[in-house]
Amino acid sequence: MMSLYWICAFVLLLSGLGVISSRQPVHSVVGLIVNFATLAVLFLTLSADFLAMMQIIIYAGAILVLFLFVIALLTVGNVPVERGPGRLQFQATPSVVAGVLALAVLFSGVRVGWSQSAAANPAGFGSVATFGTQLLTTHVFAFEVTAFILLIAIVGVVLMAGRKEVRF
Amino acid sequence: MAPFIASLVPFILFAPLVGAATIALFGPYVHRRASAAVGSASVLLSFVIAAAFAIVVWHLPAAEQAAFTHSRFLGYWVHLPPDFVISFRLLVDPLSLLWILVITGVGFLIHLYSVGYMAADKNYRTFFAYMNIFVFAMLLLVMADNFLWLLVGWGGVGFASYILIGFYYDRNTAVLAARKALIMNVIGDVGIMVAIFLMYAHVGSLAYQTVFGQVDAIGTTALTWIGIWLFVGAVAKSAQLPLQTWLPDAMEGPTPVSALIHAATMVTAGVYLVARAHPIYDRAPVAAEIVAVVGGLTALFAATIGTVQYDIKRVLAYSTMSQIGYMIMAVGIGAYAAGAFHFLTHAFFKALLFMAAGVVIHNLAGEQDIRKMGGLAKRMPFAYWTFLVGTLALAGIAPFAGFFSKDAILDQALTLHHPWLYGAGTAAAFLTAFYMFRLLFLTFFTGAYRGEGEPHHDTPWTMSVPVALLAALSVAGGWIVLPGHDALSPALRASFADSLVIQDLSGFNWQVSIGTLILALAGIVLAYALYEVPSGAREWVRSQFGVMRAVLTNAYYFDAIYHVAFEVPTYALAGLLARVFDRDVIGALPRAFTALATWLGDVADRWETGYLRRYGLSIVVGVALLLVFYVVLTRGALWGAP
Amino acid sequence: MPQIPLAAYLGLSSALFVIGAVGFLLRRNPITMLMAIELMWNAGNLAFAAFARNFADMSGQIFVFIVITVAAAEAAIALAIVVMVFRRRADVDVDDISVLRG
Repeated sequence: MMSLYWICAFVLLLSGLGVISSRQPVHSVVGLIVNFATLAVLFLTLSADFLAMMQIIIYAGAILVLFLFVIALLTVGNVPVERGPGRLQFQATPSVVAGVLALAVLFSGVRVGWSQSAAANPAGFGSVATFGTQLLTTHVFAFEVTAFILLIAIVGVVLMAGRKEVRF
Repeated sequence: MAPFIASLVPFILFAPLVGAATIALFGPYVHRRASAAVGSASVLLSFVIAAAFAIVVWHLPAAEQAAFTHSRFLGYWVHLPPDFVISFRLLVDPLSLLWILVITGVGFLIHLYSVGYMAADKNYRTFFAYMNIFVFAMLLLVMADNFLWLLVGWGGVGFASYILIGFYYDRNTAVLAARKALIMNVIGDVGIMVAIFLMYAHVGSLAYQTVFGQVDAIGTTALTWIGIWLFVGAVAKSAQLPLQTWLPDAMEGPTPVSALIHAATMVTAGVYLVARAHPIYDRAPVAAEIVAVVGGLTALFAATIGTVQYDIKRVLAYSTMSQIGYMIMAVGIGAYAAGAFHFLTHAFFKALLFMAAGVVIHNLAGEQDIRKMGGLAKRMPFAYWTFLVGTLALAGIAPFAGFFSKDAILDQALTLHHPWLYGAGTAAAFLTAFYMFRLLFLTFFTGAYRGEGEPHHDTPWTMSVPVALLAALSVAGGWIVLPGHDALSPALRASFADSLVIQDLSGFNWQVSIGTLILALAGIVLAYALYEVPSGAREWVRSQFGVMRAVLTNAYYFDAIYHVAFEVPTYALAGLLARVFDRDVIGALPRAFTALATWLGDVADRWETGYLRRYGLSIVVGVALLLVFYVVLTRGALWGAP
Repeated sequence: MPQIPLAAYLGLSSALFVIGAVGFLLRRNPITMLMAIELMWNAGNLAFAAFARNFADMSGQIFVFIVITVAAAEAAIALAIVVMVFRRRADVDVDDISVLRG
C-alpha cells in the first residue's frame, strides 16, 4: 500500500510542478489532468469511491475542458504569452521564501501526533449509498446551498458574457 | 456710623471695576455720554466713600481708630494651612487712605475733564473703561495688605498704562511707546517678585503685618537685598534712573492719561512702596541710601533735560520725573511724611499743569510744539492763569503748595545729615523754576503767535471746572503744613509709628526756605532774561554750550545706549532663534513627523498597487507568518496539540 | 491491510498546496494562475478526505463534494472574467491590469 502511495505522491507533485512551470498553458492543462487522475487514485485509497468518480467527471471532465476552451479563445499563435521580465520587483523571492517557510511549518506540525493509524472504517464508508444518505439527511442544507451557488455562477457568467465591450 | 462707613470700604475698590465692566458690556448699546457718566460716577463714588471714611474715622479717638484701620478680610486666595495661606484683605490705614483720596479725587476730576477733552475720539467709551480699569488696579495696589496683592495691583497698573499709552493705536510712535513702557515696567515687576521670594523664604508669609512684625528676625543682609529688589520695582514704576526712558515716550497717550497716570498716581507707586516698606528700609541703611541717592540724582538729572525740550508734555514729563525724584529721596532718607506731603501737592499742581496744557493743545487742534506757540496769554486767558498757578506751585514759590512740600523735603535732608542730597535738590529747584518759566514764556508770551492755525476757544465746563478746582488746590493745598502747625504728620502717625525717624514737619528752617525761594526767583529771572528780553543772549548761550545742548536734548543718550546694549542684541538673538533654532532645530520635529507619515504612506502605497499578484503575495506571506506564530512560537499551545 | 498513515496524506496535501500557492504568485498568465488555484483546492480536498477516513466521519467527504462544486463555479466565473478582460489584448499578462489601484 505504501508503495502505491509513494508512486502517487511522486506523480502528484511532479505534475503539480509541471502545471506551474510550463511555458504553454496547454502543457499546464496536461499536467493538471495527470494531477487530477492521481488524486482520484489517492481518493480510492481513502475509501472515498464516490469522490474519486466525482473528481474525474467534474474536474477532469468539465473544468479542464472549460480551461481548454478559454485557452483556445485567448491564445494566438505559438508565442509564449509571458514575454519580457515581470513588472513587479520583490515578488519572486518573497513568494518562494514564504512558501518554503509555510511548508516547513506545516511539515513540523504534521509530524506531531496523529501518526498512528485509525481503526478500520465501517462498511460502506464512502460508497454512493452512504454518500447520498448523508447528503440528503445530515447535510441537506449544504446541498441546497450548493445548488444556489451554481445558480448564481450561471447567472453571473451569462450576465457578464452578454455585456458589451468593456475597456480596461 | 463708623462701622457702617467701614463696611463700605470694599466698594471703594470695586466701584471702578464694576464701572469698567458696565461700560464694556453695555456701553456700545447706549449713548456714548452714558459711558463717560458711568466711568466718572464710579470713581466719584469711591472718592465719596473714602472721604466719608476719612472724616468719620479720623474724628474718633485714637484708640477706636485702630479697629477700623486694620485690614478688612475678604476671603482666602490660597488656603493650604499651615504653611501656605494667602488671604485677600483691604487695608485702609492713613498712608493708603491718603493715596486713595488722591487717586479717586484727582482721578474723578480727570475723568470729568476727559468727558470734554476726549469727546471727538472714536473710542470714547473704551477710554473710560480703560481709565476705570486703571483706577481699580491702582486702588488694589494701595489697598493691598500683603505683597502679593500689591504685586497684582502693580502689574495691573502697568497693564493699564500700556493700553492707555497705546490708546491711539494707529499711531506707530504710540504703540512703540506703550511697548517700551510695558517692558520696563516688567523689569520692575521681576524685581518685586524676587523681593517677594526672599521675603517668603525668610518669613514664610507675605502679609505686611507679619513681615514687618518679624523684620528684626531677618538679617541685615537679607533685608538690604529685599529693600534693593523692591526698589528695582519702584525705579521702574516711578521712572527713576536708570529705568526712566519710558516716561517721556509715554506722553504719546492722551493728555488725561498723562495727567492721571504719569503725573499724579501711577508713577508715585514707587514712593508708596518704599513708604509702606519703611520698617525694612529703616533697618537696611544701605538700601535706604541707594534709594535716596537715586532719587536725588534723578531729580537733578531730569531737571537738566527739561531745560531744552520743546514739547509741552515732554517738559512736564521730565518735570514729573524730577519731582518724583524728590519724593523718592525723601522716603529714602526716612522723611516719609515729607514725601507723602510732596506727593499730595504734586498731584494737585502736576495734574493741573497737564490739564491746562491739554486745554491749550485742545484749542490748537493738537499742536504740542512750543516753538509754534506764543502770545497765547491774551487769547486763552483761562489756560494762561491756571497754568501760571501750576507753574508757581511747581517752582516752589510761596505761598503756593509746592513751596511747603519741597522745602519740607530739603529741610529734612539737611536735618538728617544728607548735605549732598540737599545740594542736588536745591540745584534741581533752581532748574525747575527756570525751565518751567521758560515753558510758560514760550507758550504764552514771547511775542506773537507763531503757529499756523487759528486757535479756537471752545472749552466745555467739564474741562474748565476740574482745572479751576485743581488751581485752587494748588494754591491752598500746601497749607495743611504751615510753620508750627503740622496737620499731616499726626494724621499719618498710625502708619509711621514704628519708623526710626520721627515724622514731624512743623519745624520751619528759615534759611533753607528763604534760600530756596531766592534760587527759584533767580531761575525765573534767568528764564525771563533769556526768553522774554529780545537780545542775542540765547544764541550766545547756544553757541557756547552746543555739546551740552546736544547731550541734554538726547536725554544723555540713554535711549541710544539702551538701544545698542539691549535692543540690538535681543533682536539679533531673536532673529537667530527664529531662523536657526525655530526653523531648523524645533522645526525638525514636525518635519520628522511629516517625513514619517509620508514614508508610512509610501510603504502602505505598495499594498494598493492594483496588481493581483501583489495582493496574493500579501495573503500568502500573511498566512506563512500566521503559521509561524501559531505553530512555532506558541509551540502549538494555542490549540492543544497532544 | 495496514493503512497509510494520516500524516502522509497531510504532508502531501501541504506540499501540493504550497506548490499551488507559489505557482499562483510566480506566474503571470491568468489561466495558469487559475490552474494553480485548482491545485490548492485539490490539496484541501485531499486533506479533508484523509481526515474523514481517519475519524470515520462522512462529513469530510461531503465537504469535499461541496468544495468540488464551488470550485467548479469559481472556475467558470473566473474564466469568464479572464475572457472579458483579455479579449482584445495582445498579451495575456495579469500585470497589465491595475484597475484596482487606490
